[in-house]
Amino acid sequence: MSGPTSPGAARRTPLVIGLGNENRGDDGCGLAVVRALRERLGEDERLVEGPEDVTELLALWAGSERVIVVDAVRSGHAPGTVHRLDLAHQELPGPWRATSTHGLTFADALALARTLGRIPASLTFYGIEAGSVGMQRGLSGPVAGAVAAVTEAVLAEIGRAPAARAANRR
Amino acid sequence: MPERTIAVDYLARVEGEGALRVRIRNRRVDQVELKIFEPPRFFEAFLRGRSYLEAPDITARICGICPVAYQMSACHAMERALGMTVEGPLRDLRRLLYCGEWIESHALHIYLLHAPDFLGYPDAVRLAKDHPEAVKRGLELKKAGNHLMQVLGGREIHPVNVRVGGFYRTPSRAELLALRPGLERALTLAEETVRFASGLTFPEVEEEYEFVSLRSEHEYPMNEGEVVSNRGLRVPASRYEEAFEEVQAAHSNALQSIRRGGGSYLVGPLARYALNHDRLGPRARSAANEAGLSETVRNPYRSIVVRAVEVVFACEEALRIIDGYQPPERPYVEPPVSFHATAGAAITEAPRGMLYHWYRLSSDGLIEEAKIVAPTSQNQKRIEDDLRHLVERSLDQDDSTLTDFCERAIRNHDPCISCATHFLSLDLERT
Repeated sequence: MSGPTSPGAARRTPLVIGLGNENRGDDGCGLAVVRALRERLGEDERLVEGPEDVTELLALWAGSERVIVVDAVRSGHAPGTVHRLDLAHQELPGPWRATSTHGLTFADALALARTLGRIPASLTFYGIEAGSVGMQRGLSGPVAGAVAAVTEAVLAEIGRAPAARAANRR
Repeated sequence: MPERTIAVDYLARVEGEGALRVRIRNRRVDQVELKIFEPPRFFEAFLRGRSYLEAPDITARICGICPVAYQMSACHAMERALGMTVEGPLRDLRRLLYCGEWIESHALHIYLLHAPDFLGYPDAVRLAKDHPEAVKRGLELKKAGNHLMQVLGGREIHPVNVRVGGFYRTPSRAELLALRPGLERALTLAEETVRFASGLTFPEVEEEYEFVSLRSEHEYPMNEGEVVSNRGLRVPASRYEEAFEEVQAAHSNALQSIRRGGGSYLVGPLARYALNHDRLGPRARSAANEAGLSETVRNPYRSIVVRAVEVVFACEEALRIIDGYQPPERPYVEPPVSFHATAGAAITEAPRGMLYHWYRLSSDGLIEEAKIVAPTSQNQKRIEDDLRHLVERSLDQDDSTLTDFCERAIRNHDPCISCATHFLSLDLERT
């Protein structure tokens, strides 16, 4: 029997990972989502910022059945556009390039994980279209708005959206 | 011959943002320009007005791959400015943390960025399809380094546990002993890595480098030592700027470092090894011997072997430190409560080479001015020299081959082109 405190349950608690670099403008949006989630849910080791070395993702998500990754992307859509992809069953679209301020990109790490058979059973990707990724701190308006929306979406996804608010939406 | 320009989307597998432009006229290399985007400039401005205590955490954000180096250079510079000395177990713990970063950064470069060049693959993903065992070895080794950083740094990749004077919290002896089995395993993997790297096929090239690194009395350099070179330079870190200067490159907003009154120089594993091989531990030395490494390696392609030897050293050094560790009475040396306006400089050995920090502080402890010279900007001119020689040797190659050659030559030096978007471009222009 697996109760709520069993290791099996911990493995099934979704791991939420925000990627990016907060010194490169909108590239910090993935980190901003994780921080917003922490404000809502408190400190939680399942809410992770980074790593900038994306190859570390393979070790980070080892043993987690459900993983949600949030990163900035640039695919030619308007800044702030949110894309949701099921990467356990779907490839990252070819022309997409997850905007990376680090060595290898998220796309590279994903391809590596696929090649080595290290993709979690459930891997959901939220890509937020970045505007400026210049050397600056702070998010642009549309991207800040998208961060709020993705935060709500992730809360719903991990079953932590406040019941009252979820009911009010109907 | 009509003018031809080839543009490559980005220069794959080096970190960050940059571009290379090579111009060939009448079968002579007319110009080589390696452009590097430099976050340190942004951070130098960002640091002004901040407390001296914030510098280690702020600068740790400059590079996602070598945050410890930035923290260490920042801490040491502040401690020099304030006349503080950090010794004993705190000093050892810093060295242990640095071992973690060397293991992590070198393993990343060896397996995921550099090895594909020698085995004929465009990237690590394609390498992993045919040689999954090699890439898995690299990932496992990297993880051992990260784990060390996590335990000591508080949070992997961006350690937050380091502070001026020491650490916010120091580990117990039991916590460090728990790392032993993982590091023993990493040491074995590192020795396999030396065998793997030395079995690769290397272009037969030698360059006349002025090697520059730290050198200290008793140990392979990480956090301290004098600045020395194979051409007789020997100065303390505090006089670095008397020996080196940064000049504005015409083609770039980046500053290039040169020896005052001289030319380019090389920092990083090849330099450290050439100037300090007698300070390596027994396992690293015997790995180097087995790999057939001479005491000075001038073939830049063989840097992959030297990096592997340094990983062996970092593993054995980590084990040595853990075995001798007794927790300090206090996690940090208390900085002085009041002080006069002051300044301090320090150099530590980032995986990629010497990292210089200098700060001027006001009497209320605020940073008035900061100067950071990253290893890649010190190597930039030297990388251009390598490229010039390479292109001169390879003029008969077609543009695509030549482009590939240039990318490989740049990767030899593991440039942190740095924590920037990695849209690099390469222009090859022949007239």
